[in-house]
Amino acid sequence: MNWTFLLAEEAGGLFDFDATLPLMAIQFVVFAAVLNAVFYKPLGKALDERNDYVLSAGSTAKERLAQAESLAAQYEQDLAETRRQAQQIVVAAQEEAQKLSAQQMAEAQQMAQAQREQTQKELDAEKQSALSALEKQVSSLSQALLDKLLSVAA
Amino acid sequence: MLNSIPVLLSPILAELEVGKHLYWELGGMKLHGQVFITTWLVMGALIVVSLFATRKVERIPSGIQNLMEYALEFIRDLAKNQIGEKEYRPWVPYIGTLFLFIFVSNWGGALVPWKLIHLPAGELAAPTNDINTTVALALLTSLAYFYAGFRKRGIGYFAKYIEPTPVMLPINILEDFTKPLSLSFRLFGNILADELVVAVLVLLVPLFVPLPVMLLGLFTSAIQALVFATLSAAYIAEAMEGHGAEEHG
Amino acid sequence: MDPMIASASVIAAALAVGLAAIGPGIGQGNASGQAVAGIARQPEAEGKIRGTLLLTLAFMESLTIYGLVVSLVLLFANPFS
Repeated sequence: MNWTFLLAEEAGGLFDFDATLPLMAIQFVVFAAVLNAVFYKPLGKALDERNDYVLSAGSTAKERLAQAESLAAQYEQDLAETRRQAQQIVVAAQEEAQKLSAQQMAEAQQMAQAQREQTQKELDAEKQSALSALEKQVSSLSQALLDKLLSVAA
Repeated sequence: MLNSIPVLLSPILAELEVGKHLYWELGGMKLHGQVFITTWLVMGALIVVSLFATRKVERIPSGIQNLMEYALEFIRDLAKNQIGEKEYRPWVPYIGTLFLFIFVSNWGGALVPWKLIHLPAGELAAPTNDINTTVALALLTSLAYFYAGFRKRGIGYFAKYIEPTPVMLPINILEDFTKPLSLSFRLFGNILADELVVAVLVLLVPLFVPLPVMLLGLFTSAIQALVFATLSAAYIAEAMEGHGAEEHG
Repeated sequence: MDPMIASASVIAAALAVGLAAIGPGIGQGNASGQAVAGIARQPEAEGKIRGTLLLTLAFMESLTIYGLVVSLVLLFANPFS
């Protein structure tokens, strides 16, 4: 019954503790220090720098986006304004044109009316004169007819 | 007792060796040479890859830098999830090194055909295959969480031993021993069990049949690296924030 | 070594792994079932549930591994040999 096998077994074995243990520990600590110098520090710095870069780039990009958005909004507003103005101009021009055309139409109608009235007057006058002439002729003609009839009868 | 099971059918595939070590002597102390060889290979590989990844750091990463950045972000997330946004940064190197070292060791042990290299004794395998490595890592984690607790809460750290009631004192003290024990034995047992299962299957059917088990082994060894790192981070966080932290086997 | 101790060790090793597999087996089944129910209820949380499930499964798995370690001790580093 050898209970001390864990600590000292002369022929090696599975649980053979010896100077390997402390040396491995020291070696590991040294290794960690070396890796800290050649791996964790430089690459960690690179990672942090990239993080900062990405963060700052993201914020500037966000700023620019906001700027572009405000610009776009302003343009939109300007555009709407201009469109409204154009609409107004068009409406005014239309109104004016309508007014003008209505005026001209009215004038033309008036003129036509006047001409028609004058023509009517002239016509009436001519008719009157024609009628009066005719009346004169009727009396002379009837006289002549009477004379003729009388002469035939006589 | 059965330190090695000789394989009758396939002597080329060596034998199932458990508990045999390549001994080095250093100042009268014994070292497990095969563990150190693979440990240095793993550490060297990690350092070389890191050097390549950071040789020319670019804002838009590509290739190996991308891979290592992914690993770093993964480790940072892990530490952040356990320790919290405010305190996690100083612990990233420790937890990350734990994860990377265990992960690369486990996968290196499973993927690299170490058996082709013959040693005078023992055989090359994952460093986490040796109880010394896992216990060393687990004890380092214990030290780390003691250090974290003391630095954060000073002598008041001992107050956690009598929380919620002084009756819990023995259990709380016992916990400090069970934590490294379970950590180290979990990792050691998983890796060793995986290698043993693969070895036994290779011994029985040397073709194709062990492949699914090998894939499962890759999966579990990756998970074990994650579990070790996560638990270390959780213990450190628990020591820093006092009571109320969750416990794990 | 004593054949009595050898046979007892082998039987104990087998029992250690076998018995240690019962509890975690039940636990893992439970956890997986709950996880599947959770995914069915909230398919959008699948990634998170799967990650947590794998982690907890590893914890339960380690209980069996403890039994395996005990049996490995009995087989390869037997203190009574």
